Amino acid sequence: MKFVAVTSCPTGIAHTYMAAESLEKAAKELGVEIKVETEGSVGPENALTPEDIRDADAVIIAAATQVAKDRFRGKPVLEVPIQDAIKDGKAVLQRAMKLERPKADYVTEVEKTKEERSESRSGIYKHLMTGVSYMIPFVVAGGILIAISFAFGIHASEVEGSLAWALNKIGGGTAFALMVPILAGYIAYSIADRPGLAPGMVGGMLSVSLGAGFIGGIVAGFIAGYFTQWLKTVIKLPKSLQGLMPVLVLPLISTAVVGLLMIYVIGKPVAAIMTALTNWLTGMTEANAIILGIILGLMMALDMGGPVNKAAYTFAVGLLGSQVYMPMAAVMAAGMTPPLALALATVIAKNKFTSEELEAGKVAWVLGASFITEGAIPFAAADPFRVIPSIMAGSAVTGALSMAFGCKLMAPHGGIFVFFIPGVITNLPMYILSIVAGTIVSALLLVALKPNLKKTENVAASVSE
Amino acid sequence: MGISEVLRPELMTFDMKAEKKADAIRELAQLIYDHGYVSDLQGLVDAAMAREADYSTGIGMGVGIPHAKSPLVKEAVVAFGRSKKGIEFDSFDGEPVYIVFLIAVPENADKEHLNILSTLSRALMHEEVRGALLKASTPEEVIQAFQSKAD
Repeated sequence: MKFVAVTSCPTGIAHTYMAAESLEKAAKELGVEIKVETEGSVGPENALTPEDIRDADAVIIAAATQVAKDRFRGKPVLEVPIQDAIKDGKAVLQRAMKLERPKADYVTEVEKTKEERSESRSGIYKHLMTGVSYMIPFVVAGGILIAISFAFGIHASEVEGSLAWALNKIGGGTAFALMVPILAGYIAYSIADRPGLAPGMVGGMLSVSLGAGFIGGIVAGFIAGYFTQWLKTVIKLPKSLQGLMPVLVLPLISTAVVGLLMIYVIGKPVAAIMTALTNWLTGMTEANAIILGIILGLMMALDMGGPVNKAAYTFAVGLLGSQVYMPMAAVMAAGMTPPLALALATVIAKNKFTSEELEAGKVAWVLGASFITEGAIPFAAADPFRVIPSIMAGSAVTGALSMAFGCKLMAPHGGIFVFFIPGVITNLPMYILSIVAGTIVSALLLVALKPNLKKTENVAASVSE
Repeated sequence: MGISEVLRPELMTFDMKAEKKADAIRELAQLIYDHGYVSDLQGLVDAAMAREADYSTGIGMGVGIPHAKSPLVKEAVVAFGRSKKGIEFDSFDGEPVYIVFLIAVPENADKEHLNILSTLSRALMHEEVRGALLKASTPEEVIQAFQSKAD
């Protein structure tokens, strides 16, 4: 057995170390492994790595102070007064050996993976994702309101003063109009902090008015951010005037420069690209639509919420601003199928999954239905070479069918919960069919590829339940 | 830098008079004060007693290890005292202590000193070290008792 422990006392001079020694000595006597992190007056020593914690059977905290327990989530934890560890390290260890592993909380596990991923993002990708995450609420609110306005009849919103007109004005005229400025603004904010926001948002708004859409917005955001950041390093004001930097000097110069660049240099060529892209997407032949659906589907399932998935997602969300709604539908559908397929597979072939996975399967239904592709990660992590190809195949089928049926989606998130808001999805029955088809394809592949678990594992697993 | 850097021969006594915890701490604090490692005797005693109030440093097995961290302390040092009749120390195991270490550490102590103190604390968890300390009658033997574990 393997243990990790943390010892800590108020002054951090003596007891921290005595407790550590006592536990290490006891582990040696009992023939188990232990790694003890001492949080003494010299700071943490022998610090536990995430790998140490992952591999440990249980965690011992022997402390007379507060010890952060977040990192031990999902592990059995034994907390004892530090005196107990000093007095009788052996008894403490023996108690820890008897601890039951807490039932894996699947939702927490998925949440944790998502958190770790967003923390590990860096550089350009991190800035882009910051922008996207601030933009999403505008697109959700805007998209759903527009959809509802259409539910009154396709031309209902043209009657000035009507409710449909009002909803369309709020959603399309305002919330959607803000999406690219927000995207650009928060990309720049992520790079250069507050001074980046103004040039970024102005650049984003110019991008919309110049017809350069979300691609122009992304470009404007990055230029605004890095340019403002650069300005900070080159402009040196006397101390007494430094307060003017973030409120006057930086935003003024960078907004002017970014704005001029957008109008005279970047706007036109990007607008041309954007127009070409939009025209191609709206006038696409069915064969091309299916190919695009397959590509988006494969991307959504490949890394389940990682950079490739987010690239496909950002592309589709950005297009909503240019009234192109089909890729969004394909992307959401293809992002829902991986967890759904795993859930289905655990129902079909109970003998191919561990008891923990069977339990997780139940939660995966909900995660899939909510468009949380990350719900597939724990399965994929345990068996990547069988799981990832299976879910990619199903997502490709779903993406292709959704495109082929011409399904459109006006909201960038929400999974099954936006299905029944009138007008959000067009061709809903076929959309559902696309998701079901992909789910079945992936589930059957999983069942075919995954080996039966050995009898003993199953028995052991069911006994521990 | 070895254990003798903080465990100084002039700060050792092999015949403690005290029979109670507070007196024992005062007796060893006096030793530290007399040799000029702390600027205020009462201040050091108070700091150590305040630490005892959290929970006792009588760790059982006949050992007491009171300690204080205070700006009054000039340099990290350890005073060592042996008692023949035993001292009532409010220990974890309820038994009297025969060995007392009073550790005095300045507010921003040198990292090397703190490391030595942690080695010393760890060594005390081993029976052979405690046994050797109980038999020691000279400063050399006290330092010798740790040397095997510390190096």
